[in-house]
Amino acid sequence: MLEEPLIQAAGFRNVGPDDARTGFQLRVRSPYYRGMWANLLDRPTVIVDGEEFDGDDIRWTLPTGEYSFAELQASTDARWPMDEPAVLTVPKPGGLPRGIHDVTFVLRVRMSYIPEELQPSIWTATRKAVIVR
Amino acid sequence: MSTDNLPFGLGVSLYSYTEDIGVTMTVQECIEDVADLGATGLEILGEGHIRDYPNPSTAWIDAWFARNERLGLTPTLYGSWLDTRRFPGRGMTVAEGVEQLELDLRLAGRLGFSFLRPKIGVITEDLQVDPIWAEAVERNLDLATELGIVICPEIHWPTVIKSPVVEEYLAFKERTGSAQFGLLIDTGVFDLQRYPRRGGSATFQMGTGGARPPEVPFVPVSDLAEVMAHTVYFQAKFYEIDDDLTDHYIPWREIIDVALEAGYTGWFSSEYEGHREPYRASDQLRRQHALIRQVVAERG
Repeated sequence: MLEEPLIQAAGFRNVGPDDARTGFQLRVRSPYYRGMWANLLDRPTVIVDGEEFDGDDIRWTLPTGEYSFAELQASTDARWPMDEPAVLTVPKPGGLPRGIHDVTFVLRVRMSYIPEELQPSIWTATRKAVIVR
Repeated sequence: MSTDNLPFGLGVSLYSYTEDIGVTMTVQECIEDVADLGATGLEILGEGHIRDYPNPSTAWIDAWFARNERLGLTPTLYGSWLDTRRFPGRGMTVAEGVEQLELDLRLAGRLGFSFLRPKIGVITEDLQVDPIWAEAVERNLDLATELGIVICPEIHWPTVIKSPVVEEYLAFKERTGSAQFGLLIDTGVFDLQRYPRRGGSATFQMGTGGARPPEVPFVPVSDLAEVMAHTVYFQAKFYEIDDDLTDHYIPWREIIDVALEAGYTGWFSSEYEGHREPYRASDQLRRQHALIRQVVAERG
């Protein structure tokens, strides 16, 4: 089972060797009421302690595979199921310092059945999340 | 008339459990709950509730049938999408629409469904549907016949019954003469007042511009009588039934009267769409089914 907040406490961690972190990961639950073809996603935004990370550089790990954002957009079979988390890998040399961070995740999805003037659909979730090591 | 001998089928859409699925309940637990509350029809969203969509394992399919048989549930409607803006920078071609619909029809057929609702992309602010829909559906009518599935786009507010979109659907039905095509009425078009929905795990906005959703009035239940001949399915959309078993938002007595008057014997499939909070759907679905059964008993 997943936590109700979109940003999960579990899975928020630095990546790369201990002495040469390359970035961090964020595990997020989908707020959409269905699973989706992942090329319905528009560029996401991740903000940690006020620092904004470009969605073009964020890699997505989904049950169907691991993708750069460009690969996700070009994919025809990548999927994000509603009840399985996505792991976002964000490049940041040195990683994040140990401790509690203010994390914001902005998810953008194109819903074809809503007029284009009202798109994309945008969910914004914020929570405090902990980097343990 | 006994309330256990309803003149129509009473089901539940798993959409109702959106805030619970994956957080407080598994899809399987939701299906158990549908049976526990006394429903006999089971509606799903193909892309939402089928593990490993569009290629569920044989084990998943076997478990689906075994569970439904054990619980006395009949698969009713399979919700699908024609995501016409799926490909960044371009629209969906007719061939891609045909392919998507065929994929969902075959999967729905494999799982024993009788109805499929394609949610069709729109091209204008007033919700005109993408014209690829007609050929995408028409090229799949033979397959739908073979599978015994009726394709029914939904009439869902802010698209209402007296609208160009409905005229377009009815013209299609008349032109093709197909029995595999009809209308799904979402009872949210009959709202008596707007429901102040709260909750959700994140703030939500549609677009970044100043565009506002269209101001479309809800419609009187009398509009329903005019399309009953083409109505094959009801999504019994509701938001909240209060502690006195009263729904202040959807006029169930009027809706059920029109349906019964027209001799409707199909499904009413509950779609809870109240506050976006876990642990509400199970209780609210029971209230709504008690209310609908009560209304039928009064009419008996």
